Amino acid sequence: MEQLFFILLALLTLSAALMVVTTRNLLHAAFWLILVFFGIAGFFILLHAEFLAVVQVLIYIGAISTLIIFAIMLTRRIMDPQQPRFNSQWGLVGGLAALLFVVLAAVTTRVAWPTTSATLPAEPIKQLGADFVGVYAVPFEVASVLLVVAMIGAIIIARERG
Amino acid sequence: MTFPTLNFPVIAPQIVLVAAALIILLADLMVANKRILGWISLIAVIGALAAVFVCRSDSAAFPLALGGPSGPGTMALADGLGLFASAAVLIAAGLAILLAIERVGDFSRFEKPGSEKKQARSGDHPIAEAPGPQVTDRAGAYYALLLLATAGMTAMATASDLMTIFIALEIFSLALYILVGFNRRDLRSGEAALKYFLLGAFASGFFLYGIALIYAATGTTSLEAILHNIQPMSISLPFRPLLPVGMGLLLVGFGFKLALVPFHMWTPDAYQGAPTPVTAFMSVATKAAAFAALIRVLAAVASYDRPWLLALAALAVLTMTLGNLAALRQTSLKRMLAYSSIAHAGYLLIGLAAGNQLGVEGALYYLLAYTFMNLGAFAVLLAVQRRDENDVTGDRILGLAGRQPLLAALMAVLMFSLAGIPPLAGFFGKLYVFSGAVEAGLAWLAIVGVLNSALGAYYYLRVTILMFMAEPAESDQEISSGKVETLQPGWAVMTTVVLAVLGTIVLGLWQWPWTQTIAQAVSTLALR
Repeated sequence: MEQLFFILLALLTLSAALMVVTTRNLLHAAFWLILVFFGIAGFFILLHAEFLAVVQVLIYIGAISTLIIFAIMLTRRIMDPQQPRFNSQWGLVGGLAALLFVVLAAVTTRVAWPTTSATLPAEPIKQLGADFVGVYAVPFEVASVLLVVAMIGAIIIARERG
Repeated sequence: MTFPTLNFPVIAPQIVLVAAALIILLADLMVANKRILGWISLIAVIGALAAVFVCRSDSAAFPLALGGPSGPGTMALADGLGLFASAAVLIAAGLAILLAIERVGDFSRFEKPGSEKKQARSGDHPIAEAPGPQVTDRAGAYYALLLLATAGMTAMATASDLMTIFIALEIFSLALYILVGFNRRDLRSGEAALKYFLLGAFASGFFLYGIALIYAATGTTSLEAILHNIQPMSISLPFRPLLPVGMGLLLVGFGFKLALVPFHMWTPDAYQGAPTPVTAFMSVATKAAAFAALIRVLAAVASYDRPWLLALAALAVLTMTLGNLAALRQTSLKRMLAYSSIAHAGYLLIGLAAGNQLGVEGALYYLLAYTFMNLGAFAVLLAVQRRDENDVTGDRILGLAGRQPLLAALMAVLMFSLAGIPPLAGFFGKLYVFSGAVEAGLAWLAIVGVLNSALGAYYYLRVTILMFMAEPAESDQEISSGKVETLQPGWAVMTTVVLAVLGTIVLGLWQWPWTQTIAQAVSTLALR
């Protein structure tokens, strides 16, 4: 049963992802991307990581997709059907991407992943929260500096364009 | 539940820099004379540099956050390597700010929409007129972003956890994308920023994928814990293949940031299109931060295994050779220096590929020498470059010695140092790195390096010859006929050049305090 769900979910996610990169309309690509994000949330549920699934929906679908759609709609001349879909180097790049896929697939299928963890915390979400303000407090806080940089950059780029 | 014990002195430089950046953003609203903001940021960088030295005198290595020196919560280490690389980054930042103080208006100022006609006429002398209500000066944001980038770079140099390394990398990368595209008047600047951003984001993906696989293989992101977990037999065999692939992906990410050769495509365009002070800063400071992190990661993950060293050696050969060959054919001096900085990344990588004490020491020494000489070379370009332009071609410096003998002499010193002529710092950097390679049994690598230095000397000396050999009579004529604009560089730019040249000479002639500091820094690393 779980196998069937996985195959369906994988097909859905992969075909949606293919549509994202092949469709000529940028707005449609954004909508297909939302479907991809839903598929990934489904994978998280299959892996019993419900919290991550919720976060995936909230952040990627709720916030990031909305942001992308806003950016597309507010930008002029972004949807040009005259743009060529491929350039002269697509064969080389496709080959390299395929090579990377083969290497990663070969490695990840050969590793004997543990099916059960010996020390699974009783409440993973609680552990996650404790780690954010405990062990990983520094990166967690420093990420705010990253947001400041991004905010300044967004204002610099977007402000007062003629 | 345990709260982390924070050792604030470890991140004192970063705290100073981020606080100063925020103060500048606020002061930007109140101060009309933007030059004051430049001075504030310069003071902040000097303060951060002082904080680095205070840290150093306190203790050789003490960690940030939770537990002992090898606890799982160690996010940053103020050890010799981190402090040394931080000092190099801060020196670069200080010089870059000094460089920008007089010229930041060239690319940070632009007129509000609706007054384009006025801009077209006054575009050549934006400094001369007072900033009226129509003119917006973004110098405040420029300094703030520069300080935040510096904070990110120093954080990356001291970070001892893959998590902090990645966040620091993202902070300075994001700030640099914006700084590269800061010049709104120049389309090239925007193109450079877009290229740098797209490839940089792509590289971040590789970097993160590598971290994920290394985490999967070792069960931790802390470099010290990784080193502990990889000790023979303590890691179960089925997980083994994950580690090399993860390390390979991480190396690709580093390769993009360091502009190593198969991943260098963005470098010439980004360096040429970026405003020259930004190019000067990013070409040296990014390398200092990323090389420090790479040394740390290699010491933990690869533990200097032979295959990794050979991979690094191959990268070094590619990087040096292609960088130098491409630099030979450039007419734009900014592009030439961009390719030459690729070649220098190759020389630096030789030290890492050697993987021994001597090689890494040489790489660190080279890093500091490179900071001074490459930043100085870009500073000279800025001094020669016209206000409305963002590039310098070979004929612009033709007969420079006749017009500005001091500037030409200083540039000659920098070029000699970049070419590796004794007794300047560039020579000793190459010497240490090459002897490290010989000691590690990679004599062929040292020979390739020497051959490449000879190749590099050709185009550095060509610049010098262009400055000194051309007939001054002809250029005098051009000046009188208005073809070549005589431009007296401001004192701040000249000070930067003089400081960079002094650094290059002092580092070459008066070595023991530096080499001693470097030796101490390297001795704490787990090398072969």
